[in-house]
Amino acid sequence: MAAVKRIGRELAEFEKSPLPHISAGPATDTDLFKWNVVLTAPESSPYAGGIFTLRLDIPNEYPFKAPTLSFTTKIYHPNVSNDDKGSMCLGILRSENWKPSCKIAQVLEMAAGLLKEPNVDDAVETGIAEEYKNNYEQFAKTAREWTRKYAK
Amino acid sequence: MAPSRSSRNSLQSVDLRALDYLASPSANLLCPICHSPLITPVQTRCLHTFCSACISLSLERSLTCPVDRKDLSHDDVTPAPIMIANLVNDLVVLCPNREKGCEASCARWLVESHVREDCGYAMVKCAKEGCDGMVARKDVDEDCVHEAVECEFCEFAVRKLDLESHLRECPKLSSECPHCAEPFLNPELSIHIADCPAEIIDCPASHFGCPYTCPRSEVDNHTGSCHFIALTPILQLHTERITTLELENKTIRQKLELLIPPRPLPTPSSSSSNPQDSSTNTGSSSTTRDMTSEMQDYTYHLYSEYEQLRSDVERLNAQIRELDVKQDMARINEGLRYNDEMTGMRAAINGLRMQLHWLVASRRDAPTPNSGGAGGAANRVGAGSSTNDGRRMSDSARQIVKL
Ligand SMILES: [Zn+2]
Ligand SMILES: [Zn+2]
Ligand SMILES: [Zn+2]
Ligand SMILES: [Zn+2]
Ligand SMILES: [Zn+2]
Ligand SMILES: [Zn+2]
Repeated sequence: MAAVKRIGRELAEFEKSPLPHISAGPATDTDLFKWNVVLTAPESSPYAGGIFTLRLDIPNEYPFKAPTLSFTTKIYHPNVSNDDKGSMCLGILRSENWKPSCKIAQVLEMAAGLLKEPNVDDAVETGIAEEYKNNYEQFAKTAREWTRKYAK
Repeated sequence: MAPSRSSRNSLQSVDLRALDYLASPSANLLCPICHSPLITPVQTRCLHTFCSACISLSLERSLTCPVDRKDLSHDDVTPAPIMIANLVNDLVVLCPNREKGCEASCARWLVESHVREDCGYAMVKCAKEGCDGMVARKDVDEDCVHEAVECEFCEFAVRKLDLESHLRECPKLSSECPHCAEPFLNPELSIHIADCPAEIIDCPASHFGCPYTCPRSEVDNHTGSCHFIALTPILQLHTERITTLELENKTIRQKLELLIPPRPLPTPSSSSSNPQDSSTNTGSSSTTRDMTSEMQDYTYHLYSEYEQLRSDVERLNAQIRELDVKQDMARINEGLRYNDEMTGMRAAINGLRMQLHWLVASRRDAPTPNSGGAGGAANRVGAGSSTNDGRRMSDSARQIVKL
């Protein structure tokens, strides 16, 4: 299967040159298609000090179909759905934007970037996005609170 | 015997994609889809290079370039420049039989012929007439290993190839126990190992913290004096209690989290079934589950009501502020209008006063034999105006009205 080989290669590459603030790898030794990801939030963001776990699900059709990324740690963020799915909406993962040449490392880097700076124009939680735009102080307060409560 | 070796071709196929490379190849030679060095490279109209198989797979799903998403069809794909193909074909790869022991490495385009004709570890047909077993090329000149031979101990028929592994399990042979070094017949060994008296084991209370270890045969001496074992019933009880308390703690924390909602609920929706219902349910523990959900509903209901009230108050506040502003504006406007009118009036009165002065002056200058009454009135006015400036205006105004 082509996907397995490519994922294996990406994994080796990822282990050789890890990204700052991101650790990731298959959840079990037997299944390369489900990864656990741990993001450490950047100090400059209201999530500072938080440790967020995510799940990366890679479809069998990878790299022709995009992987999906979801937060298992609750997070107050315009781009993460506020339900038990915690799915992250990432522009490059949409089927109309996905490019098979895109690597998992790039996807994870993008996700880590969203912690630093949410993309309010592409929000799933429009309420939080509005708050981020119009009342940043309140947004940062709630985000910090949730981080303290769920991500420590 | 060299000719007989090379005359036997291995049918083992080589998966170029699975090969390992001696040195990690330049990133420029990797296919953007499979991330391995290109295999049969092709080029697109937008000048991106892929493996021929990879781009075909990609085009089956979407007629766009996997790198820049430009429109792309099968006709836009042509073989890549021969130089690129040469570069990837010359990459040095390790023999796919490396794990079996072959240490050869060669250019990628030669690897298939290496496996087919040279590799000592590739599987080829057994040399013996009529045998259709497979054997590694390096062993092909030895005796056929697929013949059945009889195990000298149990008299079972075993293929020569499997003899070694059979001897490890042969029921007539004995092996040493790893703990007491006593020999046991293979079928009995596992039974013995399970309670070999020489095996070093932990104290039965080791999970409560006893660090003592001894051979199984001596453990009874220890259990008589072990404090941890004496305490085991109490420790057991405590462990159980801690587990139940932890569980309880968890449910309580969940309830607490419900009572202090961490987030405003976007949709109160199906809201609060009956709060009375939930209060009658609280008694039985079997309904905890839907009690929690009902409580959740109820809390959300309260919360949404509270949100609604707050927005009401905010709206009222805004209205009051608006009215205030409106009133202020009206007052200021009216004041301005009054001011204007007042100045207008003042100007009119001044004008009239001037006129009156003029009239009075002209009347005084002119000879007036028969108008004493009127003159007297004018005189009175003149006197008034000279005595009191403040009253002058109103007086003269009154005069005008009289005239
Ligand atoms: Zn392209
Ligand atoms: Zn490829
Ligand atoms: Zn070889
Ligand atoms: Zn044979
Ligand atoms: Zn035997
Ligand atoms: Zn033993």
